[in-house]
Amino acid sequence: MPSLSIQGLTKRYGATVAVDGLSLDVGAGEAVALLGPSGCGKTTTLRMVAGLIEPGDGSIRLDGVDITRQPAYRRGMGYVFQSYALFPHMSVSANVGFGLDERGVGRAERDQRVSQALDLVRLQGLGHRKPKELSGGQQQRVALARALVIKPAVLLLDESLSNLDSKLRDAMRQEIRDIQRALSITTLFVTHDQIEAFTMCDRIAVMEKGRIAQIGSARDIYDDPVSRFVAQFVGRANVLPLTRTGDGLSLAGAPVSVSSVPTGDVDLFIRPQLVKLLAPSEPASGLDRLTGKVTRVSFVGERVEVVVDTAAGRIIVEPPAGTTPPDEGADIGVGWRPADARAFRREDA
Amino acid sequence: MTGVGAGPVLKVFAALVYAFLLSPVLIVIVISFSADSFIVFPPTGLSLQWYGRLFGHPALMAGLQFSLVIAVIVSVLSLALGVPAAYALAKGNFRGREALANLFLAPILLPTLVLGLALLLFFQPLRLTATIPGLVLGHLCVTLPFVVRMMTTAFATLPDEVEAAAATLGAPPWRVAQRVTLPLAMPGLLAAAALSFLLSFDETVISLFLSGPRASTLPVEMVRYVEGRTDPMIAALSVLLIAGTLVIVIAVEKLVGVTRAIGR
Amino acid sequence: MTAIPKSRSLALLALPAALLIVGVYAAPMVGLGRMSFNETGPTGAMVNAFSFDIWAQMLGDDFTWELTLNSLWLSFVATTAALVLGYPLALFLFRTESRFRGLLIVLAVAPMLVSSVVRVFGWLAILGDRGFINFLLMQSGLASAPTRLVYNLTGAAIGLTESLMPYMILALLAGFGRLDRTLEEASASLGAPAWRTFTRVTLPLSLPAILLGWLLCFVLAMSAYVTPKLLGGGRVFLLATEIYDQAITTVNWPLAAALALFTLVVLTLFLGTYSALSRKVQA
Repeated sequence: MPSLSIQGLTKRYGATVAVDGLSLDVGAGEAVALLGPSGCGKTTTLRMVAGLIEPGDGSIRLDGVDITRQPAYRRGMGYVFQSYALFPHMSVSANVGFGLDERGVGRAERDQRVSQALDLVRLQGLGHRKPKELSGGQQQRVALARALVIKPAVLLLDESLSNLDSKLRDAMRQEIRDIQRALSITTLFVTHDQIEAFTMCDRIAVMEKGRIAQIGSARDIYDDPVSRFVAQFVGRANVLPLTRTGDGLSLAGAPVSVSSVPTGDVDLFIRPQLVKLLAPSEPASGLDRLTGKVTRVSFVGERVEVVVDTAAGRIIVEPPAGTTPPDEGADIGVGWRPADARAFRREDA
Repeated sequence: MTGVGAGPVLKVFAALVYAFLLSPVLIVIVISFSADSFIVFPPTGLSLQWYGRLFGHPALMAGLQFSLVIAVIVSVLSLALGVPAAYALAKGNFRGREALANLFLAPILLPTLVLGLALLLFFQPLRLTATIPGLVLGHLCVTLPFVVRMMTTAFATLPDEVEAAAATLGAPPWRVAQRVTLPLAMPGLLAAAALSFLLSFDETVISLFLSGPRASTLPVEMVRYVEGRTDPMIAALSVLLIAGTLVIVIAVEKLVGVTRAIGR
Repeated sequence: MTAIPKSRSLALLALPAALLIVGVYAAPMVGLGRMSFNETGPTGAMVNAFSFDIWAQMLGDDFTWELTLNSLWLSFVATTAALVLGYPLALFLFRTESRFRGLLIVLAVAPMLVSSVVRVFGWLAILGDRGFINFLLMQSGLASAPTRLVYNLTGAAIGLTESLMPYMILALLAGFGRLDRTLEEASASLGAPAWRTFTRVTLPLSLPAILLGWLLCFVLAMSAYVTPKLLGGGRVFLLATEIYDQAITTVNWPLAAALALFTLVVLTLFLGTYSALSRKVQA
């Protein structure tokens, strides 16, 4: 399996910059997600890799070979479209066999590889159907089989699960991940859904305004976001306004410490799972703390969410499973390890 | 439904309007079986004599043959020229695309009477009047813009993604056109062929300007006949034309829907 | 966005068709303009020249203005009649929930695909001296002698109305697409009787469609030749019939060309006034 290397990739549409000097390396057999809100340039990036959009600047290399100006049909990428883009006038088998025909594969081998691909996505025996006779999930599998059967250099998935309902999406996530691992296919995956990115990929590139804001494992990005954007886009975070005092920072009068602090007005970020519930007057060594009142306790499926109003603002706490939640209206303390908190510059509202 | 559906008043009115709209065609069918020598309705007797005489009428039969030849050539040429142009307009991204689209629309906006006259003046010195090439070129002025417009819509509504998918699977542009775009556009292509055939076959005004002795289309011969005499022979011919039109209209309706095809 | 082929080279695909249109549309139209500045010699033969004689002669002739008024009047009557008759039918087709809706639409529109000569012939059989209407009138004793319904303005107007209706219905149906059924239902549910719903909701909302359909059909009516010629029986004098007569019968090409261009100018002026007025109405 080849590796993919993108250097300084740029695409402008008039005055707007869709992709802005993006660089990214995907190792052989690795799965990388491009995660970001709509309009961040992730799909444009994917389409440039596939050869469906001509790049403005920069280069795309496959195992060191420059393919930046190669037309799509010579690149050998497997692309799974958000709309699936199945050929409506062809049977499932003909859809899957399309790429093999274009490669001049003989009839016997073609039929064998088509049926293997259909087995792989568990669509045995549906080869004679037309796409419109299949369910959304089945169409999705045909699209996947069609992209896989050509033994693609890189598998490119564009929001491929977004048109499925949530149950089916869970199952397909696992299935695609298993296939990707079993075949160890170099994969680039575009999504705006962080669960998809987390469960299906080795590394995640969070994109913002045509650039990569942060790249790393799911754990890295979740635990150690490098920017306010990443912290807010990936997972949830409590955001509390910090005030600068003579020698440090304070939160509604209470001194707090944060490791690295940017200049200017800053806010404190802390994940709900990293906030501990404390008795109102419980001393907590090594924790920064606030006191407040429990305003709401809600059961969100398998976990509990506690909302605490403090002098510094509203804080959401997710206590570990098994903890007895406090009563609504109770006075309570909240605390966190300074190492778990981050400070980011306040955005101009 | 409180007074919002098609109420009884509206239905009765609609039926009356249908009667007005369709009566000429229906009456022509009855008259064609008339035994009278003039247009008399109701006919005093029935016979098939006018059908028999029709097939023995040299001018009308020659016109019919001539019109068929012209219409076939015109629809083939309209597709051959119009489909690539429509593809370029729908899928291309080049400077002057808008201007080109307007150029193709322009003849639709011009009354055929003015166009017919302009063609007569232009073709006369070139000795193209009353010839097959002259009439074909004249009819193309009507059918080509129509085919371009219809097929541009047909191509533009094909999802881009499906063609992109073919490209990522290794199909070069001409293979994409051959294996994906054209098969998907086939109903539209057949409808465009059928309708340009009809447009050419029924075209009267331009043909009136461009026809001459020995090169005269059926509608021109029919106009001449009706101007001179009023006997039911034209009715018999009309019935054949209506039947032919009906077959084509039904075929087109099955393919794409008539209103979508001719909706301007 | 497709970017599959190099899309610039696609322009070449349009080249043959574009050349043809330029060759057999644009060039003849320029030729037509040029022709109107030639002269007709004393013998009636054409003389190559560049003069405004023909234009002056045409515009100074009362007959030209009579033709213009006739054409405008006939087009106005036929178009308005087509609207009055076509509107309820289009509304019916828009609202009907019949499973034959598709067929009904085809029936309403198909006449435009039948040769106009065929339909003219049908009208001769209905309106002629021994036609259906006169048969009914005389049988019922309402008339003792046939009423002249064809070979005059009446016949031309009736035939023209019928030939315009499919276009009118199509234009109206297309415009109704924007008419939201729920608005009509809302009005009805608020207690408005059917005719109030019609005058206060349906009609105003379909006004753009009415204006556009009327315009389209008026332009078609102004340039119609076969129907008014045959049903007018040579007794209805219009710009269209005069252009043909000058070109084919009299063979006065400069005059035919000038008349054709004059018709285009009249149409353009009318279009301009009409669109200015309809913007005002809609505002």
